[in-house]
Amino acid sequence: MVQYYPGTTQVAQNRRNFTDPNYKLEKLREISDESVVKILGHRAPGEEYKSVHPPLDEMDEPDDYIREIVEPIDGAKAGDRVRYIQFVDSMYFAPAQPYLRSRSYLNRYRGVDAGTLSGRQIIEARERDLERISKELLETEYFDPARTGIRGKSVHGHSLRLDENGVMFDMLRRQVFNKQTGKVEMVKDQIGKELDEPVVLGEPLDEETLKSKTTIYRVDGEAYKDDKDAVEILHKIHVTRSEGGFCPE
Amino acid sequence: MDLQVFPHRILGSDRTEMLLNEIEALDGVKRTIIQGPRLPPEDPNENPKYAERRVINVHGKEIDLKVKTGRIFIDVSDDFDVSEVKDNIDEVCRELLPFGFDIDIGKFIRTQKTVSDNIKYGNGNIPDELIGMTDQSAKLKDRVTILKRG
Repeated sequence: MVQYYPGTTQVAQNRRNFTDPNYKLEKLREISDESVVKILGHRAPGEEYKSVHPPLDEMDEPDDYIREIVEPIDGAKAGDRVRYIQFVDSMYFAPAQPYLRSRSYLNRYRGVDAGTLSGRQIIEARERDLERISKELLETEYFDPARTGIRGKSVHGHSLRLDENGVMFDMLRRQVFNKQTGKVEMVKDQIGKELDEPVVLGEPLDEETLKSKTTIYRVDGEAYKDDKDAVEILHKIHVTRSEGGFCPE
Repeated sequence: MDLQVFPHRILGSDRTEMLLNEIEALDGVKRTIIQGPRLPPEDPNENPKYAERRVINVHGKEIDLKVKTGRIFIDVSDDFDVSEVKDNIDEVCRELLPFGFDIDIGKFIRTQKTVSDNIKYGNGNIPDELIGMTDQSAKLKDRVTILKRG
């Protein structure tokens, strides 16, 4: 059996769920394909995918064993551009967090490149595959309209206090809370270009749901030190690493 | 002595208005300062349903809110017991800040003139009550509102 993550707490279980490609993530909202394209801002909705010219079939490519062994993903087959989507996860019980995103992306998706930083996480893939992946990331448990930001640039805010309505700080104000409907709307694309029509991302999850879905250990939620199993494994890794790296002259 | 209220979330204009009205009505509150991240500047193209900037009304005085409230400093009059005022404010905050807050007694508003104050207002031109009420980069009249006590 694959061992994805140690621990007996709910947080540990959630981490295992995300990382396990056989676990089906719960779908929480519906976002249309067109809206995903708008949010990404890489091409206009309905526009053709830009790809290499001349097309790959007409290109005389050198022989390569790898090309024979590996089945290319759709975007690579078509010669699409590599595009990205970047997420920012608030420290206040966001469902996912950068390290977990990377681990789970690499377990779940083929032909992607994941980049992890302390407050943000980027995923790069061929354009048509990226759109498919983004849709999944936005519709499932990975995303909460208030605690997760879609930010291609100006990502600052993951560790700041939340607004009173639970929305994370965003200097470009891409995701705004509509008081009348109680839903979060995306008024700009991920790099901050105004959208003609706002994309409705849905209602923010309530605090209780977030606490049960989060993958972040916090003292005011589930503290890491209380997860004996996880701490024990961490200690074991620490000791074996130190001893393994110990090299007396 | 001063009090500091530190809400666990950044407050919007509606809640700030309610909170300031309640705090200003309490006995022993001499001066109140709100501090926090700036509200975005007025934008004529902005959709009014997302707008956060507005004029709030505190005890009949209109105040053009410039920041989102992240902290509130309260100067307590020397004639009152600071811990009593703290308890009263605690009660108000418990009602208006359901997501939690911290409240501390200490010295949070400066009482002495700085070199910048002297350069800006000249020697002795600023009354004691206005010291520490605004930052040196702003105009006093933009930031300070004087409420008359009934």
